[in-house]
Amino acid sequence: MHQPIRAFIEEQFLIEFGDDFPEDTDLFRAGVMDSFGYVRLCRFLEQTYQFKFAEEEMTSNILVSLTRMEQFVDHKVSRGRAASG
Amino acid sequence: MCGIAGFFQLPQHPGEHAATVRGMLSAIAHRGPDSTGYYVDDHCAFGTTRLSIIDINSGAQPLSDETGRYWICYNGEVYNYLELRAELEAKGRVFQTRSDTEVVLQAWIHWGEACLRKFNGGYAFAIYDRAAAELILVRDRFGKRPLFYTTGGPGFAFASEMKAFFALPDFHFEQDVGQVQSILAQWTPLPHQSGFRHIRNLPMGCWMRVTTGKVEERTYEALTLEPSSTVASEAGALDLIRERLADSVALRLRSDVEVGVYLSGGVDSAIVALLTCDRAKGRVRTFSVEFDDAKLDESKEQRLMAEYLGTQHLGVRVSHGDIATQFPAAIFHAEIPAFRSAFVPMYLLAESTRQAGIKVVLSGEGADEAFLGYDLYKETILRAEWNTAPEQVRRARLAQLYPHLGHYQPQDIAAITGLYHQFAEEKIPGLFSHELRLQNGRFSARLIRSQDDPFRAMREMVRATDGYAALTAVQKAQWLEYKTLLAGYLLSTQGERMTMAHGVENRCPFLDPAVVDAACAVNLRFDDGFTEKRLLRQAFRERLPEAIVNKRKFPYRAPDGAAFAAAPPDYLELLLSEAELSQIPYLDSRFARSLTTKVLANGASETSTKENQTFLFLLSLALLHRMFVKREGMPRRRVHSPVERVIDLRSGAAGYDSQGNFASVT
Repeated sequence: MHQPIRAFIEEQFLIEFGDDFPEDTDLFRAGVMDSFGYVRLCRFLEQTYQFKFAEEEMTSNILVSLTRMEQFVDHKVSRGRAASG
Repeated sequence: MCGIAGFFQLPQHPGEHAATVRGMLSAIAHRGPDSTGYYVDDHCAFGTTRLSIIDINSGAQPLSDETGRYWICYNGEVYNYLELRAELEAKGRVFQTRSDTEVVLQAWIHWGEACLRKFNGGYAFAIYDRAAAELILVRDRFGKRPLFYTTGGPGFAFASEMKAFFALPDFHFEQDVGQVQSILAQWTPLPHQSGFRHIRNLPMGCWMRVTTGKVEERTYEALTLEPSSTVASEAGALDLIRERLADSVALRLRSDVEVGVYLSGGVDSAIVALLTCDRAKGRVRTFSVEFDDAKLDESKEQRLMAEYLGTQHLGVRVSHGDIATQFPAAIFHAEIPAFRSAFVPMYLLAESTRQAGIKVVLSGEGADEAFLGYDLYKETILRAEWNTAPEQVRRARLAQLYPHLGHYQPQDIAAITGLYHQFAEEKIPGLFSHELRLQNGRFSARLIRSQDDPFRAMREMVRATDGYAALTAVQKAQWLEYKTLLAGYLLSTQGERMTMAHGVENRCPFLDPAVVDAACAVNLRFDDGFTEKRLLRQAFRERLPEAIVNKRKFPYRAPDGAAFAAAPPDYLELLLSEAELSQIPYLDSRFARSLTTKVLANGASETSTKENQTFLFLLSLALLHRMFVKREGMPRRRVHSPVERVIDLRSGAAGYDSQGNFASVT
């Protein structure tokens, strides 16, 4: 489920998650995330997991770490399933 | 315009002094191909390679006062020299020439340090006082002309370009890891940074005194963004802009040779060309860069403007291959790591301009800093009010931002909202306006294996600046732009170093202190700043084609990584070979290789801004390391500058060699 997010971030920002770079690393503070990369990441998540970000969701620090993104995607996808089921 | 170089108390036998200063001047002969002259005594030697523009016949350098106590070597122009000369003559000073060089020398003798605030121009000069045994070095207030100095070895040396230091005995270039990391993170050097250990750039608006065992640096003009007067109405603002710019262009047309204009296709250079045509006696010649890539090309607007004004126009078409081929030569002249390739077309444009017989050009640099032309200013206003502005206001503002950036689309509004939320509060003290840019810089700084804070020098610079903390957010953004991107790249790497590589002097009417003062008086007084340069456009709306005056800011860019991916040049081996990369010990070679592979494999649309800029930084660092540190692979374009004046006051002068022709090493 989460592998595409990890792979996208690693390819996009030329990093490798591991002991030296834990999944809960703040990607802004680590100097990894840039402005265009952030926008591309949003597009990628929307397209891959078939949801839309609401503006109010974007003001709650979702996309700062891989851990936060995975939690948010789980939440979005399960809500989507519940709504459609 | 010229190149200057010299030294003070170099621990070598005076018999070597002449050859050393000739070697230094030879390395920068491209800056002054018309003639060369130098002064040498037992303690000091300095000289000029001259590009003759004012008083061509009697303005040779070095030049002294009537007593022979003071000697000057001078680079650039003080445009208000006629007014200053009249003032000095009224006080009894007598002149031997018509040159501005002599006015600068007499002004220094008469007024001392106080003369510097009277100068309006782009200049760097050295004055040697034989009686006091002291050397004075000065640089203009916006950093238009360069002046580097080194205290790394025994003795003191200075030059317009660092490559002159190749001629110093036992001098070795060494890249300064801390400075390089700082440059990568900021996009450009800070005013004092050179990228090399033991070499300092004399900051803009500063002067220095060098005496035995002592080097003092002082500021004579701090950058001020507070206007000298207020403007009551928009109509008054428009009149003020028109008047100050017309005066500025008129001053910059003072020349004994023909003056051309660089036309970018935007409104700033169009205004400069318009005002030049108002004053010029004959048909004005204009010059532009054209690209095959339609996303970068502005030839339609350039030609429209040239036809509108009836100028004799030359468009220089630049291909991907040209950029890849000329990059090493251009970065050798730039000397500083570069984050874009856009300076390379300017190198080629200057070559064509010189071949067309033009030695002086006017251009539009400085308008975006003065009249708030960059998106950075709008972005700063929006981010500063982000947490308090109503949602509909934020949405409206966001829609006004970045429409020229194709990679942001309307559906990205939620994403950009999230991004701005991350940058709505200051995280790096004093640098709020630039934090989004600096975030991209953090990526480039990953090229360096270092745990240091890459913004430490920048933070310290603003913290140590009197009055900075009291500036508004937009003024801080302006202040930083004047001190970093403008001086550290646009005027230097993309500007002066490229024109002077071919003996062309570039003058910038928007950098006249009176124009900057006018801009400060009108900015954000009569609008909210979200239509960039609205008042400047309005001031000339009736005199320019609609397509020009209404054109949104279109950043001048060139193909970056794509230019090298299309037809990889041989020197890319510097980045692709493990053995080559390992010779630059401070690089994170793993990251460097991953980045290079990605940029060369991906198309232009798949390569992000941060990747492009980091790739260009890496390439320029590797080439500078090869050419400056290892002294290999330097471009060999020979420029001859005949020696026409030698002042040899050494105690054993009769027995020393002091003359001869020489050629530049470029």
